[in-house]
Amino acid sequence: MRGLVVTLLVLAGAAGAGSGRAGLLRLAGERAPAQELLYLPNGKYLKAVSLGHPGLVADLVYLWAIQYYSDYERGDRYRYVEHVFGNVIGELDPHYVDPYWLGAMILVAESRDLEAGLRLLDLGFERNPDRWILPYLAAFECHRVRDYSRAARYMDRAAGVTDAPPLVLRMRAAMVARAGDVREALDMWREVLADPRSDAGARAIAERQIRDLKVKIDIAQLQDAAERFTATRGRRPARLQDLVGAGVVGSIPLDPDGQSYRYDRENGKVTSPAGRILGASPR
Amino acid sequence: MSAALEPKPPRAVAAVAAIAVNTFREAIRDRILYLLLAFSLLLIAASRLLSFITVGDEEKIVKDLGLSAIAVFGVLTSVFVGVSLVFKEIEKKTLYTLLASPIRRWHFVAGKYLGFMTVLAINVSLMTAALFLVLLARGEAPWMLVPAVVLTLVQLALVTAFAVLFSSFTNPVLSALGTLSVYVVGHLSWSFDLLKKRLPLGAGRRLCDVAHSLLPSLDRLDVKMHAVHGLPLPDGYVLFGICYGVCYSVVVLVLACCVFERRGFA
Repeated sequence: MRGLVVTLLVLAGAAGAGSGRAGLLRLAGERAPAQELLYLPNGKYLKAVSLGHPGLVADLVYLWAIQYYSDYERGDRYRYVEHVFGNVIGELDPHYVDPYWLGAMILVAESRDLEAGLRLLDLGFERNPDRWILPYLAAFECHRVRDYSRAARYMDRAAGVTDAPPLVLRMRAAMVARAGDVREALDMWREVLADPRSDAGARAIAERQIRDLKVKIDIAQLQDAAERFTATRGRRPARLQDLVGAGVVGSIPLDPDGQSYRYDRENGKVTSPAGRILGASPR
Repeated sequence: MSAALEPKPPRAVAAVAAIAVNTFREAIRDRILYLLLAFSLLLIAASRLLSFITVGDEEKIVKDLGLSAIAVFGVLTSVFVGVSLVFKEIEKKTLYTLLASPIRRWHFVAGKYLGFMTVLAINVSLMTAALFLVLLARGEAPWMLVPAVVLTLVQLALVTAFAVLFSSFTNPVLSALGTLSVYVVGHLSWSFDLLKKRLPLGAGRRLCDVAHSLLPSLDRLDVKMHAVHGLPLPDGYVLFGICYGVCYSVVVLVLACCVFERRGFA
Protein backbone atom coordinates (compact mmCIF):
# COMPACT_ATOMS: atom_id res chain seq x y z
CA MET A 1 0.00 0.00 0.00
CA ARG A 2 2.80 2.35 1.00
CA GLY A 3 4.71 1.50 -2.16
CA LEU A 4 1.66 2.23 -4.27
CA VAL A 5 1.20 5.65 -2.65
CA VAL A 6 4.87 6.52 -3.24
CA THR A 7 4.64 5.40 -6.88
CA LEU A 8 1.45 7.41 -7.41
CA LEU A 9 3.00 10.48 -5.80
CA VAL A 10 6.12 10.20 -7.99
CA LEU A 11 4.00 9.73 -11.13
CA ALA A 12 1.72 12.65 -10.19
CA GLY A 13 4.75 14.82 -9.47
CA ALA A 14 6.39 13.89 -12.78
CA ALA A 15 3.17 14.58 -14.68
CA GLY A 16 2.75 17.95 -12.95
CA ALA A 17 6.36 18.92 -13.62
CA GLY A 18 6.04 17.83 -17.26
CA SER A 19 2.88 19.84 -17.87
CA GLY A 20 4.39 22.84 -16.05
CA ARG A 21 7.47 22.68 -18.24
CA ALA A 22 5.36 22.39 -21.37
CA GLY A 23 3.40 25.45 -20.25
CA LEU A 24 6.59 27.41 -19.61
CA LEU A 25 7.98 26.50 -23.03
CA ARG A 26 4.70 27.44 -24.71
CA LEU A 27 4.58 30.80 -22.95
CA ALA A 28 8.26 31.44 -23.64
CA GLY A 29 7.57 30.83 -27.33
CA GLU A 30 4.85 33.49 -27.29
CA ARG A 31 7.15 36.23 -26.06
CA ALA A 32 7.82 39.20 -28.30
CA PRO A 33 10.39 38.39 -30.98
CA ALA A 34 14.03 39.06 -30.04
CA GLN A 35 12.90 40.07 -26.55
CA GLU A 36 15.78 38.18 -24.95
CA LEU A 37 18.22 40.40 -26.80
CA LEU A 38 16.60 43.63 -25.60
CA TYR A 39 18.21 43.36 -22.19
CA LEU A 40 21.55 41.90 -23.27
CA PRO A 41 23.95 44.32 -21.55
CA ASN A 42 26.60 46.24 -23.39
CA GLY A 43 29.97 44.48 -23.50
CA LYS A 44 31.51 47.22 -21.31
CA TYR A 45 29.37 46.09 -18.38
CA LEU A 46 29.83 42.40 -19.09
CA LYS A 47 33.57 42.99 -19.21
CA ALA A 48 33.47 44.51 -15.72
CA VAL A 49 31.80 41.45 -14.25
CA SER A 50 33.82 38.89 -16.21
CA LEU A 51 36.61 39.10 -13.58
CA GLY A 52 39.49 38.88 -16.00
CA HIS A 53 37.84 36.55 -18.51
CA PRO A 54 36.28 38.91 -21.11
CA GLY A 55 37.74 36.84 -23.98
CA LEU A 56 35.94 33.71 -22.80
CA VAL A 57 32.67 35.60 -22.22
CA ALA A 58 33.00 37.05 -25.75
CA ASP A 59 33.45 33.50 -27.11
CA LEU A 60 30.37 32.26 -25.27
CA VAL A 61 28.19 35.16 -26.48
CA TYR A 62 29.54 34.61 -30.01
CA LEU A 63 28.76 30.87 -29.94
CA TRP A 64 25.30 31.64 -28.60
CA ALA A 65 24.78 34.31 -31.31
CA ILE A 66 25.71 31.82 -34.03
CA GLN A 67 23.07 29.40 -32.76
CA TYR A 68 20.53 32.22 -32.32
CA TYR A 69 20.96 33.59 -35.83
CA SER A 70 20.93 30.08 -37.31
CA ASP A 71 17.28 29.76 -36.31
CA TYR A 72 15.44 30.94 -39.40
CA GLU A 73 12.02 30.61 -37.82
CA ARG A 74 12.67 33.47 -35.41
CA GLY A 75 10.76 36.60 -36.35
CA ASP A 76 12.39 40.03 -36.30
CA ARG A 77 15.74 38.36 -35.77
CA TYR A 78 17.86 41.06 -37.34
CA ARG A 79 16.93 43.96 -35.09
CA TYR A 80 19.81 43.57 -32.64
CA VAL A 81 22.54 42.10 -34.85
CA GLU A 82 24.67 45.25 -34.72
CA HIS A 83 24.23 45.47 -30.94
CA VAL A 84 25.15 41.82 -30.33
CA PHE A 85 28.18 41.67 -32.63
CA GLY A 86 29.43 45.26 -32.27
CA ASN A 87 28.48 46.45 -28.80
CA VAL A 88 28.45 43.21 -26.84
CA ILE A 89 31.06 40.90 -28.36
CA GLY A 90 33.08 43.78 -29.84
CA GLU A 91 33.32 45.59 -26.51
CA LEU A 92 34.18 42.40 -24.63
CA ASP A 93 36.97 41.49 -27.01
CA PRO A 94 37.65 44.33 -29.48
CA HIS A 95 40.34 42.31 -31.27
CA TYR A 96 38.08 39.33 -32.03
CA VAL A 97 37.65 39.86 -35.78
CA ASP A 98 35.26 37.03 -36.68
CA PRO A 99 32.14 38.55 -35.05
CA TYR A 100 32.52 41.76 -37.08
CA TRP A 101 32.53 40.01 -40.42
CA LEU A 102 29.98 37.36 -39.47
CA GLY A 103 27.60 40.04 -38.14
CA ALA A 104 28.14 42.07 -41.30
CA MET A 105 27.42 39.04 -43.48
CA ILE A 106 24.17 38.40 -41.61
CA LEU A 107 23.18 42.05 -41.99
CA VAL A 108 24.07 42.31 -45.67
CA ALA A 109 23.17 38.88 -47.01
CA GLU A 110 20.12 38.07 -44.88
CA SER A 111 18.80 41.33 -43.50
CA ARG A 112 19.63 43.21 -46.75
CA ASP A 113 20.95 46.10 -44.70
CA LEU A 114 24.19 47.06 -46.43
CA GLU A 115 24.73 50.24 -44.41
CA ALA A 116 24.48 48.39 -41.07
CA GLY A 117 26.86 45.71 -42.32
CA LEU A 118 29.37 48.32 -43.45
CA ARG A 119 29.07 50.11 -40.09
CA LEU A 120 29.98 46.87 -38.32
CA LEU A 121 32.97 46.28 -40.61
CA ASP A 122 34.05 49.92 -40.15
CA LEU A 123 33.85 49.49 -36.37
CA GLY A 124 35.94 46.33 -36.58
CA PHE A 125 38.57 48.03 -38.74
CA GLU A 126 38.64 51.06 -36.43
CA ARG A 127 39.48 48.73 -33.55
CA ASN A 128 41.79 46.51 -35.62
CA PRO A 129 43.58 48.72 -38.14
CA ASP A 130 45.98 45.87 -38.94
CA ARG A 131 43.26 43.53 -40.28
CA TRP A 132 42.89 44.09 -44.01
CA ILE A 133 40.15 41.48 -44.29
CA LEU A 134 37.51 43.84 -42.84
CA PRO A 135 37.71 46.65 -45.46
CA TYR A 136 38.32 43.94 -48.08
CA LEU A 137 34.95 42.35 -47.27
CA ALA A 138 33.31 45.79 -47.15
CA ALA A 139 34.67 46.43 -50.65
CA PHE A 140 33.16 43.19 -51.89
CA GLU A 141 29.77 44.06 -50.48
CA CYS A 142 29.91 47.47 -52.21
CA HIS A 143 31.01 45.78 -55.42
CA ARG A 144 28.05 43.42 -55.16
CA VAL A 145 25.66 46.40 -55.28
CA ARG A 146 27.76 48.01 -58.06
CA ASP A 147 28.92 50.90 -55.90
CA TYR A 148 32.37 50.75 -57.44
CA SER A 149 33.67 54.07 -56.10
CA ARG A 150 32.96 53.04 -52.52
CA ALA A 151 34.36 49.57 -53.19
CA ALA A 152 37.54 51.19 -54.49
CA ARG A 153 37.84 53.32 -51.34
CA TYR A 154 37.45 50.26 -49.10
CA MET A 155 39.94 48.28 -51.18
CA ASP A 156 42.35 51.20 -50.90
CA ARG A 157 42.07 51.01 -47.09
CA ALA A 158 42.69 47.26 -47.19
CA ALA A 159 45.74 47.75 -49.42
CA GLY A 160 47.08 50.32 -46.95
CA VAL A 161 47.50 47.64 -44.27
CA THR A 162 51.14 46.59 -44.01
CA ASP A 163 50.69 42.84 -44.41
CA ALA A 164 47.90 42.98 -47.00
CA PRO A 165 48.55 40.20 -49.53
CA PRO A 166 49.21 40.96 -53.24
CA LEU A 167 45.64 39.86 -53.99
CA VAL A 168 44.38 43.02 -52.26
CA LEU A 169 46.51 45.21 -54.53
CA ARG A 170 45.06 43.43 -57.58
CA MET A 171 41.51 43.81 -56.30
CA ARG A 172 42.11 47.48 -55.57
CA ALA A 173 43.29 48.11 -59.12
CA ALA A 174 40.30 46.20 -60.49
CA MET A 175 37.82 48.16 -58.33
CA VAL A 176 39.38 51.48 -59.32
CA ALA A 177 39.11 50.49 -62.98
CA ARG A 178 35.50 49.51 -62.42
CA ALA A 179 34.90 52.88 -60.76
CA GLY A 180 36.08 54.47 -64.01
CA ASP A 181 39.43 55.93 -63.00
CA VAL A 182 41.45 54.03 -65.60
CA ARG A 183 44.59 56.15 -65.29
CA GLU A 184 44.75 55.50 -61.55
CA ALA A 185 43.97 51.84 -62.22
CA LEU A 186 46.80 51.67 -64.78
CA ASP A 187 49.26 52.98 -62.17
CA MET A 188 47.96 50.41 -59.67
CA TRP A 189 48.37 47.53 -62.10
CA ARG A 190 51.92 48.70 -62.78
CA GLU A 191 52.44 48.62 -59.01
CA VAL A 192 51.18 45.01 -58.96
CA LEU A 193 53.55 44.12 -61.81
CA ALA A 194 56.49 45.65 -59.94
CA ASP A 195 55.55 44.00 -56.62
CA PRO A 196 58.18 41.29 -55.92
CA ARG A 197 55.52 39.27 -54.05
CA SER A 198 53.44 38.83 -57.23
CA ASP A 199 53.72 35.35 -58.69
CA ALA A 200 53.79 34.47 -62.40
CA GLY A 201 49.99 34.25 -62.56
CA ALA A 202 49.52 37.66 -60.91
CA ARG A 203 52.08 39.22 -63.22
CA ALA A 204 50.33 37.76 -66.27
CA ILE A 205 47.01 39.24 -65.06
CA ALA A 206 48.69 42.61 -64.42
CA GLU A 207 50.29 42.64 -67.89
CA ARG A 208 46.95 41.89 -69.55
CA GLN A 209 45.19 44.58 -67.52
CA ILE A 210 47.91 47.13 -68.33
CA ARG A 211 47.56 46.40 -72.06
CA ASP A 212 43.75 46.68 -71.89
CA LEU A 213 43.85 49.90 -69.90
CA LYS A 214 46.50 51.41 -72.18
CA VAL A 215 44.25 50.68 -75.19
CA LYS A 216 41.27 52.16 -73.40
CA ILE A 217 43.15 55.34 -72.48
CA ASP A 218 44.58 55.73 -76.00
CA ILE A 219 41.18 55.27 -77.64
CA ALA A 220 39.59 57.75 -75.24
CA GLN A 221 42.33 60.31 -75.95
CA LEU A 222 42.09 59.88 -79.73
CA GLN A 223 38.30 59.97 -79.64
CA ASP A 224 38.38 63.17 -77.63
CA ALA A 225 40.91 64.70 -80.04
CA ALA A 226 38.78 63.70 -83.05
CA GLU A 227 35.72 65.33 -81.49
CA ARG A 228 37.65 68.54 -80.79
CA PHE A 229 38.91 68.51 -84.42
CA THR A 230 35.32 68.13 -85.65
CA ALA A 231 34.13 70.94 -83.41
CA THR A 232 36.80 73.42 -84.56
CA ARG A 233 36.98 72.50 -88.28
CA GLY A 234 33.32 71.72 -88.86
CA ARG A 235 34.21 68.36 -90.43
CA ARG A 236 35.54 65.00 -89.25
CA PRO A 237 39.23 64.22 -89.73
CA ALA A 238 39.92 62.01 -92.76
CA ARG A 239 42.45 59.94 -90.84
CA LEU A 240 44.07 59.96 -87.41
CA GLN A 241 47.26 61.57 -88.75
CA ASP A 242 45.18 64.73 -89.48
CA LEU A 243 44.93 65.23 -85.71
CA VAL A 244 48.73 65.64 -85.54
CA GLY A 245 48.78 68.01 -88.50
CA ALA A 246 46.09 70.14 -86.86
CA GLY A 247 48.07 70.20 -83.60
CA VAL A 248 45.26 68.54 -81.62
CA VAL A 249 47.61 65.77 -80.46
CA GLY A 250 51.40 65.56 -80.48
CA SER A 251 51.58 62.06 -81.98
CA ILE A 252 49.37 59.06 -82.65
CA PRO A 253 50.16 56.23 -80.22
CA LEU A 254 50.41 52.60 -81.29
CA ASP A 255 48.59 49.90 -79.38
CA PRO A 256 50.60 47.58 -77.05
CA ASP A 257 51.08 45.14 -79.99
CA GLY A 258 52.63 47.93 -82.09
CA GLN A 259 49.63 48.24 -84.39
CA SER A 260 47.86 51.45 -85.38
CA TYR A 261 44.44 52.30 -84.01
CA ARG A 262 41.60 52.25 -86.48
CA TYR A 263 39.50 55.23 -87.38
CA ASP A 264 36.11 55.07 -89.14
CA ARG A 265 35.57 58.34 -90.99
CA GLU A 266 31.87 57.57 -91.52
CA ASN A 267 30.93 57.52 -87.83
CA GLY A 268 34.04 59.19 -86.36
CA LYS A 269 34.81 56.28 -84.01
CA VAL A 270 38.30 55.16 -82.97
CA THR A 271 38.72 51.44 -82.28
CA SER A 272 41.45 49.02 -81.34
CA PRO A 273 42.65 46.56 -83.97
CA ALA A 274 42.47 43.82 -81.33
CA GLY A 275 39.05 44.99 -80.15
CA ARG A 276 40.14 45.37 -76.53
CA ILE A 277 37.40 47.28 -74.84
CA LEU A 278 36.74 47.45 -71.10
CA GLY A 279 33.35 48.18 -69.60
CA ALA A 280 34.14 51.43 -67.82
CA SER A 281 34.71 54.75 -69.51
CA PRO A 282 37.75 56.87 -68.59
CA ARG A 283 37.59 60.05 -66.60
CA MET B 1 69.97 18.67 30.60
CA SER B 2 72.98 20.69 29.66
CA ALA B 3 72.83 23.18 26.84
CA ALA B 4 75.19 21.00 24.82
CA LEU B 5 72.69 18.11 24.84
CA GLU B 6 69.68 20.23 23.80
CA PRO B 7 68.59 19.65 20.19
CA LYS B 8 70.15 22.19 17.93
CA PRO B 9 67.48 24.36 16.21
CA PRO B 10 67.41 23.57 12.48
CA ARG B 11 68.49 26.19 10.06
CA ALA B 12 65.58 28.28 8.76
CA VAL B 13 65.98 27.10 5.17
CA ALA B 14 66.08 23.43 6.23
CA ALA B 15 63.01 23.84 8.46
CA VAL B 16 60.99 25.66 5.80
CA ALA B 17 62.04 23.11 3.16
CA ALA B 18 61.04 20.16 5.37
CA ILE B 19 57.58 21.64 5.98
CA ALA B 20 57.22 22.54 2.28
CA VAL B 21 58.04 18.98 1.21
CA ASN B 22 55.52 17.56 3.68
CA THR B 23 52.86 20.04 2.56
CA PHE B 24 53.57 19.10 -1.03
CA ARG B 25 53.23 15.39 -0.29
CA GLU B 26 50.05 15.97 1.66
CA ALA B 27 48.52 18.22 -0.98
CA ILE B 28 49.15 15.87 -3.88
CA ARG B 29 47.41 13.15 -1.89
CA ASP B 30 44.41 15.47 -1.54
CA ARG B 31 41.70 14.24 -3.91
CA ILE B 32 40.38 17.69 -4.67
CA LEU B 33 43.58 18.47 -6.56
CA TYR B 34 43.20 15.45 -8.80
CA LEU B 35 39.53 16.25 -9.29
CA LEU B 36 40.24 19.82 -10.34
CA LEU B 37 43.10 18.72 -12.53
CA ALA B 38 41.02 16.05 -14.26
CA PHE B 39 38.17 18.49 -14.68
CA SER B 40 40.33 21.18 -16.22
CA LEU B 41 41.94 18.67 -18.58
CA LEU B 42 38.48 17.57 -19.61
CA LEU B 43 37.49 21.18 -20.11
CA ILE B 44 40.45 21.82 -22.36
CA ALA B 45 39.51 18.74 -24.36
CA ALA B 46 35.90 19.97 -24.47
CA SER B 47 37.12 23.25 -25.90
CA ARG B 48 38.14 21.32 -28.99
CA LEU B 49 34.57 20.09 -29.37
CA LEU B 50 33.16 23.54 -28.64
CA SER B 51 35.21 24.99 -31.44
CA PHE B 52 33.24 22.91 -33.96
CA ILE B 53 30.13 25.01 -33.42
CA THR B 54 31.81 28.31 -34.11
CA VAL B 55 32.36 30.20 -37.35
CA GLY B 56 35.87 31.43 -38.09
CA ASP B 57 38.91 31.14 -35.84
CA GLU B 58 38.46 27.96 -33.77
CA GLU B 59 41.86 28.24 -32.10
CA LYS B 60 40.87 31.53 -30.48
CA ILE B 61 38.14 29.76 -28.52
CA VAL B 62 40.44 26.88 -27.59
CA LYS B 63 43.02 29.38 -26.26
CA ASP B 64 40.44 31.46 -24.36
CA LEU B 65 38.83 28.44 -22.79
CA GLY B 66 42.17 26.83 -21.94
CA LEU B 67 43.65 29.95 -20.33
CA SER B 68 40.46 30.70 -18.41
CA ALA B 69 40.25 27.07 -17.21
CA ILE B 70 43.83 27.30 -15.94
CA ALA B 71 43.06 30.56 -14.11
CA VAL B 72 39.66 29.55 -12.68
CA PHE B 73 40.70 26.09 -11.50
CA GLY B 74 43.94 27.49 -10.17
CA VAL B 75 42.02 30.05 -8.13
CA LEU B 76 39.52 27.45 -6.92
CA THR B 77 42.38 25.18 -5.84
CA SER B 78 44.17 28.07 -4.22
CA VAL B 79 41.07 29.20 -2.32
CA PHE B 80 39.55 25.92 -1.22
CA VAL B 81 42.75 24.03 -0.48
CA GLY B 82 44.85 27.03 0.54
CA VAL B 83 42.51 28.15 3.29
CA SER B 84 42.64 24.78 5.00
CA LEU B 85 46.43 24.56 5.00
CA VAL B 86 46.89 25.96 8.50
CA PHE B 87 43.43 25.14 9.83
CA LYS B 88 43.79 21.41 9.12
CA GLU B 89 46.98 21.24 11.20
CA ILE B 90 45.21 22.95 14.08
CA GLU B 91 42.12 20.77 13.81
CA LYS B 92 44.12 17.53 13.63
CA LYS B 93 46.31 18.84 16.48
CA THR B 94 49.46 18.04 14.49
CA LEU B 95 50.39 21.71 14.84
CA TYR B 96 51.08 21.21 18.56
CA THR B 97 53.63 18.52 17.82
CA LEU B 98 55.23 20.74 15.23
CA LEU B 99 55.36 23.78 17.46
CA ALA B 100 56.86 21.72 20.27
CA SER B 101 59.82 20.98 18.02
CA PRO B 102 62.52 23.63 17.63
CA ILE B 103 61.01 25.36 14.65
CA ARG B 104 59.66 28.88 14.54
CA ARG B 105 56.08 29.65 13.64
CA TRP B 106 57.12 31.63 10.57
CA HIS B 107 58.97 28.52 9.35
CA PHE B 108 55.65 26.73 9.46
CA VAL B 109 53.74 29.46 7.53
CA ALA B 110 56.47 29.89 4.91
CA GLY B 111 56.86 26.13 4.48
CA LYS B 112 53.13 25.63 4.08
CA TYR B 113 52.98 28.41 1.49
CA LEU B 114 55.97 27.22 -0.53
CA GLY B 115 54.83 23.60 -0.48
CA PHE B 116 51.39 24.53 -1.69
CA MET B 117 52.75 26.91 -4.33
CA THR B 118 54.83 24.03 -5.69
CA VAL B 119 51.65 21.98 -6.05
CA LEU B 120 49.91 24.89 -7.78
CA ALA B 121 52.87 25.43 -10.11
CA ILE B 122 52.80 21.74 -11.08
CA ASN B 123 49.05 21.89 -11.62
CA VAL B 124 49.34 24.96 -13.82
CA SER B 125 52.22 23.37 -15.73
CA LEU B 126 50.19 20.22 -16.39
CA MET B 127 47.15 22.18 -17.51
CA THR B 128 49.35 24.36 -19.72
CA ALA B 129 51.01 21.30 -21.22
CA ALA B 130 47.58 19.86 -22.03
CA LEU B 131 46.49 23.13 -23.65
CA PHE B 132 49.71 23.37 -25.65
CA LEU B 133 49.29 19.79 -26.87
CA VAL B 134 45.76 20.53 -28.04
CA LEU B 135 47.01 23.63 -29.90
CA LEU B 136 50.02 21.85 -31.37
CA ALA B 137 47.76 19.05 -32.58
CA ARG B 138 45.77 21.73 -34.43
CA GLY B 139 48.95 23.09 -36.00
CA GLU B 140 48.93 26.26 -33.89
CA ALA B 141 52.05 27.62 -32.15
CA PRO B 142 51.14 27.99 -28.46
CA TRP B 143 54.28 29.81 -27.26
CA MET B 144 52.72 33.26 -27.30
CA LEU B 145 50.49 32.10 -24.41
CA VAL B 146 53.46 31.68 -22.06
CA PRO B 147 53.38 35.25 -20.61
CA ALA B 148 49.67 34.86 -19.81
CA VAL B 149 50.30 31.54 -18.01
CA VAL B 150 53.26 32.98 -16.07
CA LEU B 151 51.23 35.97 -14.89
CA THR B 152 48.30 33.68 -14.03
CA LEU B 153 50.68 31.78 -11.73
CA VAL B 154 51.73 35.12 -10.21
CA GLN B 155 48.06 35.90 -9.56
CA LEU B 156 47.67 32.49 -7.91
CA ALA B 157 50.72 33.19 -5.73
CA LEU B 158 49.06 36.40 -4.55
CA VAL B 159 45.68 34.79 -3.93
CA THR B 160 47.32 31.90 -2.06
CA ALA B 161 49.22 34.36 0.15
CA PHE B 162 45.88 35.92 1.13
CA ALA B 163 44.42 32.44 1.72
CA VAL B 164 47.29 31.70 4.12
CA LEU B 165 46.87 35.10 5.80
CA PHE B 166 43.15 34.57 6.40
CA SER B 167 43.62 30.97 7.48
CA SER B 168 46.18 32.09 10.07
CA PHE B 169 43.49 33.71 12.21
CA THR B 170 40.04 32.49 11.14
CA ASN B 171 38.10 29.39 10.08
CA PRO B 172 38.10 27.96 6.51
CA VAL B 173 34.65 29.30 5.56
CA LEU B 174 35.53 32.89 6.43
CA SER B 175 38.99 32.44 4.93
CA ALA B 176 37.50 31.21 1.66
CA LEU B 177 35.07 34.14 1.59
CA GLY B 178 37.86 36.60 2.34
CA THR B 179 40.17 35.13 -0.31
CA LEU B 180 37.44 35.08 -2.96
CA SER B 181 36.65 38.71 -2.08
CA VAL B 182 40.31 39.63 -2.60
CA TYR B 183 40.19 37.89 -5.99
CA VAL B 184 37.03 39.77 -7.02
CA VAL B 185 38.24 43.14 -5.71
CA GLY B 186 41.63 42.55 -7.30
CA HIS B 187 39.98 42.22 -10.69
CA LEU B 188 37.81 45.29 -10.11
CA SER B 189 40.54 47.55 -8.72
CA TRP B 190 40.28 49.75 -11.86
CA SER B 191 36.84 50.80 -10.59
CA PHE B 192 38.51 52.94 -7.89
CA ASP B 193 39.84 55.16 -10.66
CA LEU B 194 36.34 55.36 -12.11
CA LEU B 195 34.88 56.21 -8.71
CA LYS B 196 37.58 58.80 -8.08
CA LYS B 197 36.61 60.71 -11.21
CA ARG B 198 33.04 60.98 -9.95
CA LEU B 199 33.97 62.23 -6.49
CA PRO B 200 34.62 65.87 -5.55
CA LEU B 201 38.17 66.81 -4.56
CA GLY B 202 38.99 65.79 -1.00
CA ALA B 203 39.17 62.82 1.33
CA GLY B 204 37.03 60.58 -0.87
CA ARG B 205 39.45 60.81 -3.75
CA ARG B 206 42.45 60.23 -1.51
CA LEU B 207 40.70 57.17 -0.09
CA CYS B 208 40.19 55.85 -3.62
CA ASP B 209 43.89 56.37 -4.35
CA VAL B 210 44.90 54.59 -1.17
CA ALA B 211 42.52 51.70 -1.78
CA HIS B 212 43.69 51.37 -5.38
CA SER B 213 47.34 51.35 -4.29
CA LEU B 214 46.91 48.93 -1.41
CA LEU B 215 44.57 46.35 -2.93
CA PRO B 216 46.17 43.83 -5.29
CA SER B 217 45.82 44.87 -8.94
CA LEU B 218 45.10 41.42 -10.32
CA ASP B 219 43.61 42.99 -13.46
CA ARG B 220 47.09 44.31 -14.32
CA LEU B 221 48.38 40.74 -14.21
CA ASP B 222 45.80 39.55 -16.71
CA VAL B 223 47.29 39.49 -20.22
CA LYS B 224 45.20 36.65 -21.63
CA MET B 225 43.70 38.82 -24.36
CA HIS B 226 47.13 40.02 -25.48
CA ALA B 227 48.37 36.45 -25.58
CA VAL B 228 45.38 35.09 -27.49
CA HIS B 229 45.51 37.81 -30.16
CA GLY B 230 49.30 37.87 -30.30
CA LEU B 231 49.38 41.55 -29.31
CA PRO B 232 52.76 42.79 -28.13
CA LEU B 233 53.27 43.54 -24.44
CA PRO B 234 55.44 46.49 -23.42
CA ASP B 235 59.07 45.52 -22.81
CA GLY B 236 59.61 44.18 -19.29
CA TYR B 237 55.87 43.93 -18.54
CA VAL B 238 56.05 40.29 -17.46
CA LEU B 239 59.14 40.94 -15.31
CA PHE B 240 57.46 43.89 -13.59
CA GLY B 241 54.37 41.71 -13.09
CA ILE B 242 56.46 38.95 -11.49
CA CYS B 243 58.25 41.52 -9.31
CA TYR B 244 54.93 43.07 -8.21
CA GLY B 245 53.31 39.70 -7.45
CA VAL B 246 56.28 38.23 -5.60
CA CYS B 247 56.89 41.35 -3.48
CA TYR B 248 53.19 41.75 -2.67
CA SER B 249 52.97 38.06 -1.70
CA VAL B 250 56.02 38.41 0.57
CA VAL B 251 54.37 41.36 2.38
CA VAL B 252 51.13 39.39 2.84
CA LEU B 253 53.06 36.35 4.09
CA VAL B 254 55.02 38.49 6.56
CA LEU B 255 51.68 39.76 7.86
CA ALA B 256 50.43 36.17 8.06
CA CYS B 257 53.56 35.17 10.03
CA CYS B 258 53.09 38.11 12.44
CA VAL B 259 49.44 37.20 13.03
CA PHE B 260 50.32 33.52 13.48
CA GLU B 261 53.15 34.37 15.91
CA ARG B 262 50.69 36.23 18.13
CA ARG B 263 48.01 33.57 17.97
CA GLY B 264 47.48 31.55 21.10
CA PHE B 265 46.66 27.84 20.92
CA ALA B 266 44.72 26.51 23.85
